[in-house]
Amino acid sequence: MIEVESLEKLYGDFPAVRGLSFRVQPGEVLGLVGPNGAGKSTTIRSIAGIIIPTRGRISIGEHDLATDAVAAKSLLAFIPDEPHLFDYLTVEEHLRFVGRLYQVADVDSRIPELLEEMELASKRSALPGELSRGMKQKLAIACGLLHHPRALLLDEPLTGLDPVGIRRMKATITRRAESGAAVILSSHLLHLVEEICTRVLVMRGGCAVAFGTIADIVASRPALAGRRLEDVFLALIDPTGAGPE
Amino acid sequence: MIRVFAYLAWRSTANRVARQIRQLRSPRYLAALALGIGYLYIVAVEQRPREAPAVGARWIELLGSLGVVGAILWGWIFGVERRVLAFTPAEVTFLFSGPVTRRGLVQYKLLRNQLLILFNALLWTLILARERFGTSPWLRAISIWVLLTTISFHRLGASFVRTSLLEHGRIGLRHRVVSLVLLGAALIALAWGLRDALPSIAAGWSAGVGTFLDALTEAAAEPVPHLLLTPFRAMVRPLTAHSPAEWARAMGPALLLLLLHYVWVIRADTAFEEAAAETSLRRAEQRALRGAAAPPALTHRSVPRFLRLAPVGWPGGAILWKNLLGVVRLRRTRDAVVAFVVASIAAGLLSFDPNGSLAHAAGWFTATWAGLTIVIGPQWVRNDLRSDLLKLDLLRSYPLRGRSVVAAEAAASTLVVTALQLGLVLVAYLAFLGNTRMEPDLQTRSVVLLAAVVCLPGVNYLGMLIQNAAALLFPAWVHLGAGRPSGVEALGQNMLMIVAYLALLAAALAVPAALAGGLYVTLEPGIGGWAALPALVVLQVGVAAEAVVMIRWLGAVFERIDPANAGFAV
Repeated sequence: MIEVESLEKLYGDFPAVRGLSFRVQPGEVLGLVGPNGAGKSTTIRSIAGIIIPTRGRISIGEHDLATDAVAAKSLLAFIPDEPHLFDYLTVEEHLRFVGRLYQVADVDSRIPELLEEMELASKRSALPGELSRGMKQKLAIACGLLHHPRALLLDEPLTGLDPVGIRRMKATITRRAESGAAVILSSHLLHLVEEICTRVLVMRGGCAVAFGTIADIVASRPALAGRRLEDVFLALIDPTGAGPE
Repeated sequence: MIRVFAYLAWRSTANRVARQIRQLRSPRYLAALALGIGYLYIVAVEQRPREAPAVGARWIELLGSLGVVGAILWGWIFGVERRVLAFTPAEVTFLFSGPVTRRGLVQYKLLRNQLLILFNALLWTLILARERFGTSPWLRAISIWVLLTTISFHRLGASFVRTSLLEHGRIGLRHRVVSLVLLGAALIALAWGLRDALPSIAAGWSAGVGTFLDALTEAAAEPVPHLLLTPFRAMVRPLTAHSPAEWARAMGPALLLLLLHYVWVIRADTAFEEAAAETSLRRAEQRALRGAAAPPALTHRSVPRFLRLAPVGWPGGAILWKNLLGVVRLRRTRDAVVAFVVASIAAGLLSFDPNGSLAHAAGWFTATWAGLTIVIGPQWVRNDLRSDLLKLDLLRSYPLRGRSVVAAEAAASTLVVTALQLGLVLVAYLAFLGNTRMEPDLQTRSVVLLAAVVCLPGVNYLGMLIQNAAALLFPAWVHLGAGRPSGVEALGQNMLMIVAYLALLAAALAVPAALAGGLYVTLEPGIGGWAALPALVVLQVGVAAEAVVMIRWLGAVFERIDPANAGFAV
């Protein structure tokens, strides 16, 4: 569903992402992990069509993002860590706006469902200025889910959510994957990655240093056997290769 | 503490300028800089009159002082708090929560405003002709800096007083009773003093600019107006001095006024003024934390029926709808609509008054403003890419072609400006409706009204595309976001921008207008005034063709723009 081939992004001379290739199949949840500056956000924003890659190819479904961007983007939803909302649209109007962009004919019936799911039903007529940080995040998520995306890109999706919201969000991601969506999730929360991701891509310095299920990654490094995920992660991102004591 | 503020202001500016200079590695920015320098050279050197102009220094001093009165009154009547007390979220986070006094914050704001003032003082020094203003460029620059800084200080002080009145109601009124009584007395005295001069001023207006200015000068020389205008003349006088000695004599009072204003703004000793300043700053803090793009005052959430969005259709329609909603929701839009309806009815009724002078004056006033909005409207109304580019991440993730985004964004601001212009034209038309003696006659005026309805949308759309082109091609140099540098402090740069914009618009309209004009001249001998119809059609087709070409080009630019290298924070 999501295919990334030899992705490379240079900022001036600085390589933010180098030679990255992977595939995410329908029903799969891929966790992108790595330290700050590893290239996770650049990767996810490139797949969303926001950043233009310096080299490489990205396709969503059968559509090449470079040559058939509109068709590719209509299949995906990008939910950033910082919710970008329009100050003068109410909660419901945000959903109507997104519905028109993605040509969601049944928007009238979808809106109450999503508002209920995101616990925003009572805030239907509220402007973003009247919402808490978590509610704004929920609205951004609702906008992303409105058109039943077949590819879901989430950049730190739990930022600002309360414990109930976190639980619901995890359930939503799992449910979307079960219904056939390919999900890429970037997060520093290793327990989240461990809980809901089917595979993990560990990045450091713009490159993939490990890719597979957590069990596969640990199995390929016998020295890490029996360690907690956090220790495995620290060992993988340690440029000296020494890993944690 | 002032060293910290100076460090912050200096480093922020230096880094910003460095970032903008780095953009010169792009040939597009380099070419724009070369054009800009050439443009400034023409404005500052080539277009400068070689001989002393006809307009004497006496008129310039009077007109300048009236301009200062206007700028100051604007601040008192309409309020400029949002502008003069604009803090960024970072400034609020570090300064408001830090060990900084209220006076310190005001000092910091004054310091930041200085950067804008210095830049505009430089521009005005280049713009204002040497033969007309002052002796050396250095003295001229100092005069302009003193003038702009004094006005800036006054507007900041006025914003504190306004806040005090708005916040504390009757109590505030009691505290301000002396200054308000003085202000009221001054205005009444001015009206009384000008009472006898009004007929000659009105007669002068009909006779020509020179006669009008002479009448105005005579009126201003009357004791009361002369007394009231004295401080404003003192602020402008150094600019009109023709020798260093004259300049030095004029500079004393101007500097004294500057000093008094500084003391007024910075020394808010009484608890009441302290509270007013605190409130002003608190509001600024709230505004900054809401986000720089937050609209000033939103009202009524219900959407008019004609603005309901169908779930399917042209996807770009969603962008257009969103941007229109942003305008419709503004309280000032609702106020403007009410004002237009009332003004239209009143103008129509008054136009049948046999005397009719009020309707006549209102008609010319609104017609003048309708013309002005062609020039300044596209700078005012910015509900397009100039606001939305800050959400480039979001726009780029939508399944839309670049050309759809550009077309929809420019269309939204075009509709707003056109509605404003047509409202003004309609009021003007109604104000002259009952006037049977007026030339041009009612039939011609009706044709002009119809032509405005047909032509203005296309002309405005081209204008908005030019404005959006600037934002897309030079995002690092164009101010993005809801607001823009404005006020007297930024008048110089805005004036240069308007002239450049008009030149581009004229160039864009030249070919369609020439074709339409040619067709009219060809057909007019045969079919008379009806030749205007095919000419208008040709004009519209030409404008539409140019708009399509621009949309396709800008759409491609939008799709290629890289948020990481665009030069602004997304």
